[in-house]
Amino acid sequence: MKKTILGFTAALALLATSFAFAQATGKPADFVDPGLFKNLILGFSVALSWTNLWYCFIGCFLGTLIGVLPGIGPVATIAMLLPITFNLPPIPALIMLAGIYYGASYGGSTTAILVNLPGESSSVVTCIDGYKMGQQGRAGPALAIAALGSFFAGTVGTILIALFGPPLAELAFEFGAAEYFSMMVLGLVAAVVLASGSLIKAIAMILVGLLLGLVGTDVNSGIARYSFGISELSDGIGFVSVAMGMFGFAEIVGNLEAKEADRTGATISEVKSLMPTAEDIKMSIGPIIRGTAIGTIFGILPGSHTVIAAFSSYTLEKKLAKDPSRFGKGAIEGVAGPESANNAAAQTCFIPLLTLGIPTGAVMALMVGAMTIQGIAPGPQVMTQKPDLFWGMIASMWIGNGMLVLLNLPLISIWVMFLKIPYRILFPGICLFCSIGAYSLNNSAMEVYLAATFGVFGYFASKWGCEPAPLLLGFVLGPLMEENLRRAMLISRGDPSVFFTRPISCGMLIVAGALLIMIISPQIKKKRDEVLIEGDGL
Amino acid sequence: MIKSKKDLYAGLMFIVIGGFFALWALNYPMGTAVRMGPAYFPSILGWLTAGLGVIIMVRGFTMPDVDPNPTQWKPMLWIHGSAVLFGLLVDPLKIGFVGAVVASVIACAYGGYEFKWKEAIISAAVLTVVCWGAFVYGLGLPFRLFPGS
Repeated sequence: MKKTILGFTAALALLATSFAFAQATGKPADFVDPGLFKNLILGFSVALSWTNLWYCFIGCFLGTLIGVLPGIGPVATIAMLLPITFNLPPIPALIMLAGIYYGASYGGSTTAILVNLPGESSSVVTCIDGYKMGQQGRAGPALAIAALGSFFAGTVGTILIALFGPPLAELAFEFGAAEYFSMMVLGLVAAVVLASGSLIKAIAMILVGLLLGLVGTDVNSGIARYSFGISELSDGIGFVSVAMGMFGFAEIVGNLEAKEADRTGATISEVKSLMPTAEDIKMSIGPIIRGTAIGTIFGILPGSHTVIAAFSSYTLEKKLAKDPSRFGKGAIEGVAGPESANNAAAQTCFIPLLTLGIPTGAVMALMVGAMTIQGIAPGPQVMTQKPDLFWGMIASMWIGNGMLVLLNLPLISIWVMFLKIPYRILFPGICLFCSIGAYSLNNSAMEVYLAATFGVFGYFASKWGCEPAPLLLGFVLGPLMEENLRRAMLISRGDPSVFFTRPISCGMLIVAGALLIMIISPQIKKKRDEVLIEGDGL
Repeated sequence: MIKSKKDLYAGLMFIVIGGFFALWALNYPMGTAVRMGPAYFPSILGWLTAGLGVIIMVRGFTMPDVDPNPTQWKPMLWIHGSAVLFGLLVDPLKIGFVGAVVASVIACAYGGYEFKWKEAIISAAVLTVVCWGAFVYGLGLPFRLFPGS
């Protein structure tokens, strides 16, 4: 509950500051742009072309397919399927990737409801009541409500991106190198503050990520840094190799170690009828709306907060319920709220990426990588220079969400079939897909060796309590941060005080510092650990 | 004496990585704060990482924590080995796609629990067909299928 209030306050502050910035820069803060409808029509005309609809469908389908497989989160799913999009033009490639992301998130909740195994961490909460509903023979309504709630949340998220994207991008155009640098510092700090596990280890992992991101030819001097004479390394380490190693190989080994992912013993709930009763729908409307609101806010904040969004929504519904004892025993509100929150957060985390060019979590970091491969630098200029891409992607997000409802409910029997494959048969295939994917990046075995190296590194790092997600975030931001630091220092003639004399930059650094101090203070640290441990224990 | 092996090892890891990047940066020009050379940013980051590593290591002697789960060498080595094997067979050894897929799937399956030859061979065969269909035929990736072909 405290977390929710904190989130609301933070979002309000965020809105107020963006409004203030718009005022300060002399631009009217017209949040409802008169050109909005024109833009949306442009977007839909792009997204509704047969080719793009087809790629959106393929993305959703493949994403769900891989997402229902045990022990593969959205990051590994996207990394694995990324090579498929390399040969496509930018617009279909990004539309397909967004589809893969939604599909993967949705696949996670399907397994949570049917077999009590969260395909990804944000579905942990769905397991509690979703699986109970399944055992009571109500898996169908649980899946349907999860799908409808996600669709509603996705719709709201899409509208918000369309509304707030342009003014935020406008604001980002005012940013200089100093502001960008400070914003990245703030983004990285905020991303670790709410992450689970040890704070200091997360920061250290970010630093390692930043360092790894610097491997390769330095743009200013042309010197190949840390390449050790290996020609592939002078182009830098491929982020797909890092992601596949740490989220693919390392996770497979972790799953084999835990032997948890093998669901041969688990009972799969039968799906009888998908139709929720009128009572179900009536009870779900409130949780869906509240979950969407919570998720929206957590999505915009830096850090991958789908887990916390889902968890906050669950706690809130439990607090608001007339009879809280129903929770944990198959309460439909416990599925509707968290699923909506989860999906709303998955949607709105595109806002900072598309407008400011700042990824807020590991999945968004992958999207940055994918955009870079397509020759697009994420940031405010995408909207003005490639409006068809920007608005087409937004429109396709909404179409993708709708497609998931249409796709998943009828296809549920296919997903159940995949669920029945034992893990010992599955994992060699997953491994092989990762190897082939890594190889196909440059048609070179080097990327495969790199992925294996990062797999070993990721395995030991997570054994010692260091999470891989902050590293990936740092890895993507490394070169950007160095470039902006260099530029800012060049402009200021080597005076580091520039970061504090420019008001916006100074403000962001103060917020970053305050967040760090807050989290170190014993009282808040205790609270954070409580929430996260409670979340883990669910 | 040692209270948390997790913190101790993690600390050491960060010291080694950070120290390596910082020291290796000595090979590159440092530049000045105005015109930063290629060594400037990595040096700062490297020393910061190593510094955090020291703090984490010190914590390993003061803050108690549960021991990490024992390392499972068998899956760890076979899974990652299967990826390296795939790379080796496809690229330097030029065995071709089919041979590389079969070998790496069987090696990978061997790293799991309940390994059965029959299962591994069947899944290798199925995966060869699926991957040929998806990657070589479907996506047109330039793999040679057999040695010499």
